[in-house]
Amino acid sequence: MVLPPVGVVAVFIGFPVLAAVAYTLGRADGPNSVVSSLAQRQHIVKHGVTFAAYHEVLTNQSVLRDLWATVWITLLSIAIVLAISWAVALYLRLTDTRLARTVSALAVVPLFIPVVIASYGILIFYGPDGFMKTIAYHVGWHSFPSYAYTLTGVVIGEVWVSVPFGVLMMSSGLNSVPNALIEAARDAGASMPRTVWSILLPLNVIPTVIVATFTGIYVLGSFTVPYLTGPTAPNLLGPAMSNFFSAFNQPQQAEVMAMIVFVLAAGIGFVYVWANVRSSKRAGATS
Amino acid sequence: MSTHASGLLIDRVSKELGGRTIVSDLELEVRAGELTCLLGPSGCGKTTTLRMIGGFLHPDRGRIVIDGEDVGRLAPERRPTAMVFQNYALWPHMTVFKNVAFGLRLRRVPKREIRERVEQILALVGLTHHQHSYPARISGGEQQRVALARALVLEPKVLLLDEPLSNLDAKLRVRVREDIREIQQRIGITTVFVTHDQDEALSISDRIAVMSEGNVEQYAEARALYREPQTTFVANFVGTMNFYRGSAHGDGVTLAGGAHVPCDDLSAHGEGEWEIAVRPEDVQVGTNGGGADARVLREVPRGHYKELVLDLGGDQVRAFVSVDHPDVEQTRVRFGRVLMYQEGVLRRSPATVAV
Amino acid sequence: MSEGIAFGGLRETAAPVERTRGPRRGIGAAAGRLLGALFVLALLVFMVGPIVWLALRAFSGTWQYPQVLPSEWTFRYWRSVFDDPNLGHSIKLSFIFAPVVTVASAAICLPAAYAFSRFNFPGRRVLLISLFATNAFPKIGLYISMAGVFYSLNLMGTFLGVVIVQLIGTIVFMTWIPTAAFSAVPRSLEEAARDVGAGPLRVFLRVTFPLAAPGIFVAMILSFLASFDEAQGTFLVGVPNYVTMPTEMYTLVLNYPEQAAAVFSLLLAIPSVVLMSFARKHVMGGRLAEGFQIR
Repeated sequence: MVLPPVGVVAVFIGFPVLAAVAYTLGRADGPNSVVSSLAQRQHIVKHGVTFAAYHEVLTNQSVLRDLWATVWITLLSIAIVLAISWAVALYLRLTDTRLARTVSALAVVPLFIPVVIASYGILIFYGPDGFMKTIAYHVGWHSFPSYAYTLTGVVIGEVWVSVPFGVLMMSSGLNSVPNALIEAARDAGASMPRTVWSILLPLNVIPTVIVATFTGIYVLGSFTVPYLTGPTAPNLLGPAMSNFFSAFNQPQQAEVMAMIVFVLAAGIGFVYVWANVRSSKRAGATS
Repeated sequence: MSTHASGLLIDRVSKELGGRTIVSDLELEVRAGELTCLLGPSGCGKTTTLRMIGGFLHPDRGRIVIDGEDVGRLAPERRPTAMVFQNYALWPHMTVFKNVAFGLRLRRVPKREIRERVEQILALVGLTHHQHSYPARISGGEQQRVALARALVLEPKVLLLDEPLSNLDAKLRVRVREDIREIQQRIGITTVFVTHDQDEALSISDRIAVMSEGNVEQYAEARALYREPQTTFVANFVGTMNFYRGSAHGDGVTLAGGAHVPCDDLSAHGEGEWEIAVRPEDVQVGTNGGGADARVLREVPRGHYKELVLDLGGDQVRAFVSVDHPDVEQTRVRFGRVLMYQEGVLRRSPATVAV
Repeated sequence: MSEGIAFGGLRETAAPVERTRGPRRGIGAAAGRLLGALFVLALLVFMVGPIVWLALRAFSGTWQYPQVLPSEWTFRYWRSVFDDPNLGHSIKLSFIFAPVVTVASAAICLPAAYAFSRFNFPGRRVLLISLFATNAFPKIGLYISMAGVFYSLNLMGTFLGVVIVQLIGTIVFMTWIPTAAFSAVPRSLEEAARDVGAGPLRVFLRVTFPLAAPGIFVAMILSFLASFDEAQGTFLVGVPNYVTMPTEMYTLVLNYPEQAAAVFSLLLAIPSVVLMSFARKHVMGGRLAEGFQIR
């Protein structure tokens, strides 16, 4: 009974990924024959493997710039999303007014909007005749920059799309700290900031890690947001590999880039699993 | 440990929450070094009162005065109070030592002094061997003692305990409450203890404030509460009590059901309707000589005494008798010491009907 | 207790709670409050601004920078979008693919969800997690790898190819959520039904399924949206034969006036807003953090 979805995943994801790995290593036979017959600038061998394709991609200056952009935009997005998520979640947890609830409801708005629309909306909102420039004009700041088709715009877009998950996760984590623990800290003499630092923060390391890793993997491999809001170059690896695949007709290089993204994502995923295992080990050892 | 103890005054405090009046015009004066219990059923306002002392709630009206100083405007972190929470509220990511040391670290006490004071207090509560354990690893009773140590190490002027024993099993409760009492007396700290368990309250408190619906019904020592309950609520809440409506005359009372029961000692006399209260141990069963006719309905063995439920012409009465009391069905009943109430309040002779 | 859009969670209701603050006086407190207000305002603009701006644009006729609001309001771009054959075609396609994918996904995944929930077989957790993990991986990378093989299988540019691509994105919803829904049906209810004589199939139809139905319904809503909003894979595999609404957006911004793009965006967003409003209570349950931990 379990076979169908597992089968679909195995056949349409697992198998293609394996074939793609083979292709990136130079094998153009079997399932890779058709795509290979259409491709340009390939590095093929009949037997064994070759790392020529990897070499080419990893020494390509524009790809390296894209890789660098991807990494630091991912890190920046993670930092901003964590800051916003913590701020909103703390605000809700510690004040619980109607305003706070409205704020956290707003923070979840992006869940209702498809990413394509969000990207477009952000593009024009921060663009040359968008809201930001309009308001800036009216307060006398005529040289306010337009963020359309810039990496800044990409960061704004990625953060916008990732905030809901962050806020939900941090709220859930903060809510599971009983009121008594906070009151006990205040009773002992801690101010609110000190209580957050000494009590709420340490008890919410796991939700923070979850938000960081999920946001990281998402931004790392994102396509729609950078494609619509980002510059032609440098951009993230998502649009870059799509260009290599469709526009330049170099599927092998595109698949190499996909592998790079997978490896980075797996690295982040590893952090997630490690943090989970470490925390359940700590909980297990003390129970 | 500081030997100077502080008094606590709750001066006409009122509090409304969610549209309901939880506490209304409450007055309580706790003497320095005394262990006072706030005792009452759920919803009587005892926890609310405690939290107001601790600073987690602000009174709508009235003052809270500790050691002569009005602390009403102080936030919990600045009040000279320390609370032991119902679920202990130990921070799970800190060891026992760190839990206790936290407050001292906040006050920037030098490390060596922290170590000394924490070790001293842990020795007092008997938890030295667990100082580096995490809360999840130790038992409920031990967690409770950590919470107590954590509160005491800060040398507060008033110690507050919020139903600290309700999460422990019955046998443990008895031992732990005696430990608490012992520590409290040794340090001599003014303590307010909230509970709904009268057994607990009666056994360890200096004085008990019996509360109902936001007010203190009576604030006295256990013996006084038991022997001289000032209101019918207290009479009913503390211990078991037989209650009747009836009238009084000369040497006894006439119950609503018609039975005329002779009494040795009535607290008050007078015309009109009375609420009549008699403790089961003050009911004399099977006396030779006068008494109302009664029929035994049930007999319940209780270890070193027996409880009899008798029918007194329509009214029921509970009586405690000795184990070798004869088994008879028809017998006679007299009352020994009887408390007379009107409008819920205990009356004493000379009685006036209209007060 | 979760009411509407507040976050459910563990709130102790035993002890009365009031947020007490000491007396707030002076510059410090006022500055703090001002900062807080600024933060809320900034967040409001950041989160909601782009959508409102887009919505305004969809109804605007003439809107010159730097006017704050359009100088002319109109519906004419709505009409032009509906009249355009290409855009109309993509709208129709979106509404064909989404139900097809949802039904196919349900057919494939629901039995598996039942098995995950009711049978404890070796590798159960591994399989569940790997179904989740494959979705966590960057989609564009996956689609590129898939596309390579799709060429060999002659699936590029075909209806089936697009269905498969969109289906992949729904598998996580269609397995994890129904698994939780089935698991939430107390075994004792099923056993009671067997006890009074119902066979396994009847127990499933009359007891298990109806009780799990709300969760399954939510899963179907999320799958529908996942397919409806799917852009990247369809972009790679479906173009140029099958262009759904989201995929159309990629090129629409280049070829059509901004107002038309705004109208199209709103159209694309409507099913999302409506359906997510139904599903939100489930998605925003307070135990989210615990669900993501590997146990």
